[in-house]
Amino acid sequence: MTDPYDLAILGGGPGGYVAALRAAQLGMRVALVEGARVGGTCLNVGCIPTKALVTATELLTRARRAAEYGIRIPQAEPDLEGIMAYQRAAVERLVGGVEQLLKEGKVTVVRGRGRLVRPDALSVTDGAGGTTEVTARHIILASGSVTARPPIPGLDLPGVVTSTEALDVSTLPAHLIVIGGGVIGLEFACIYEALGSRITVLEMMPNLLPGAADEAIAKRLAVLLRRRGMDIRTGATVQAVEGARHTSPLRVRFSTSRGEEAVEGDRVLLATGRWPNTADLGLEEVGVRMNRRAVAVDEYLRTSVPNVWAIGDAIGGMMLAHKAMVDGRVAVENIAGQKRAVDYRSVPWAIFTSPEVAGVGLTEAQARQQGADVRVLQFPFSANPRAQILGETEGLVRIVCEAGSGRVLGVHMMGPHATELIAEGALAVQTGATADDLAWTTHAHPTLTEAVLEAALGFRGATIHYHRKT
Amino acid sequence: MTEFLELTVDKFTFRFATDRYYHPEGVWALPEGEGRVRIGLSDFAQQSGGDVAFAEVKPVGTAVAFGDEVASIETMKTDIVVPAPVSGTVAEVNPALEMSPEVINEDPYGEGWLAAIAATDWEADRARLLDPQAYLERVREVAEEEMRKR
Repeated sequence: MTDPYDLAILGGGPGGYVAALRAAQLGMRVALVEGARVGGTCLNVGCIPTKALVTATELLTRARRAAEYGIRIPQAEPDLEGIMAYQRAAVERLVGGVEQLLKEGKVTVVRGRGRLVRPDALSVTDGAGGTTEVTARHIILASGSVTARPPIPGLDLPGVVTSTEALDVSTLPAHLIVIGGGVIGLEFACIYEALGSRITVLEMMPNLLPGAADEAIAKRLAVLLRRRGMDIRTGATVQAVEGARHTSPLRVRFSTSRGEEAVEGDRVLLATGRWPNTADLGLEEVGVRMNRRAVAVDEYLRTSVPNVWAIGDAIGGMMLAHKAMVDGRVAVENIAGQKRAVDYRSVPWAIFTSPEVAGVGLTEAQARQQGADVRVLQFPFSANPRAQILGETEGLVRIVCEAGSGRVLGVHMMGPHATELIAEGALAVQTGATADDLAWTTHAHPTLTEAVLEAALGFRGATIHYHRKT
Repeated sequence: MTEFLELTVDKFTFRFATDRYYHPEGVWALPEGEGRVRIGLSDFAQQSGGDVAFAEVKPVGTAVAFGDEVASIETMKTDIVVPAPVSGTVAEVNPALEMSPEVINEDPYGEGWLAAIAATDWEADRARLLDPQAYLERVREVAEEEMRKR
């Protein structure tokens, strides 16, 4: 047995590898235990490969509209194998980048499946079945999440896939049925729709993107997707997936307030969310207190066992890579002797649908529930010059602020590059900025960011490029 | 068959259905019997608003008082807050608006209706509305004023 490490991390996803790199910066000797490639779900089978698919399909859509911009592209067609190669290359480049950073940080990557065996030790089983033990003064649990599998009969039928298999677009379904109208389901719905599949989305809650998007925006997104030809059903509870006898091999039965219905398709994507990946990691045996499937932590990300910490999807809550990265920094800085509590006020949602949806802070409904006297300032992208030039005028910016002070409680938007524009909203929420602060910050012209400026100007009735008739 | 009055100001022509009443903010009200009143935007209101991108009407069951916001309509250049021309409860919302809000531009007095209201006191509300000729005169003033400003 070698000297103990200062820190061992179970899981090399965005939470785990960021924790490792931060710890290395602070001079710790770090072991990172990972059974697959570093980067976790996000880099290998999540955020990154889906964004490659989104980028490819956006280009396809734009190329098909090329005539609007005075460009002749006679026939823009997807080359599915080419898209797969591009996707693999994007993943390869970014995973390689993380591996390089870990190497430069002198982080020891221990390959194999880790398991907590004592408060200061992980046992690691490699692919050949050999076991080693990694001991450390501190351990961070960063085991991520797995696809949620609700108790719906028929999910094991061939043709029912999760987001991981859906990344393979080399064969396209004629009709894709998506169970779950959340972030993952809708991103794939937009990807497959652009590639030519017919799409049906079944969401159990009354609105799309439940728990993520502002309701007013979620409603508008549903309308836009329907206008593009998608069949979007909300309030639809899936009862079962069955093999169908007719032309399509799968039938999904669901119930709505109007009764039982069924839809047939040739592929079903299960996208009903994700569960913390905490089973069979030895956590309960060592005495780590759980909160259902999630590891229970305090605001400093300490578990119930001294010197064992937990971060990211494994602790539940917002399962977002960037939130896991922040968790990783918080846990490591606390291990290094600081006392930093997690602060999730400014964690943005970034949803790469078409158009994009993003939000940060409180939605209008949440702010009203908390009893705040709320004003909502809105501005449509149809009145933004840059959006008009881009030919992408669908969507709007909504700023939720305190009626009296104008303090920004939340910013929500749908529209071109909303996932980039939300950074200004996150800064506003984090720093307690007011609508006036945003309005007196000069925004470059002509840019999409002016939509945020114009919405903020509405606090003083000073919106310039749009008229609200009352 | 609905009949219309017409008003031409400069190069614009506005139509006014003669079978209904008008809120001065450009909302028509058409009693349909049994206390139901259908409402929609006037031709003048839809033309001055421009191409409709989104129409959001208060959901069925919402109580509205005369003058309250009953719908908001987003066009390429303006946000129109539509005042209720009658007090009551929203009984029906035009289902065509979600997929094809442009019907408001194409047929403001027909297929582009917004909602049907179960009125609480139509006779009282009617007394506060304009008849087609009076509304036409109102529009003439507003439109000519706009022309002078140019």
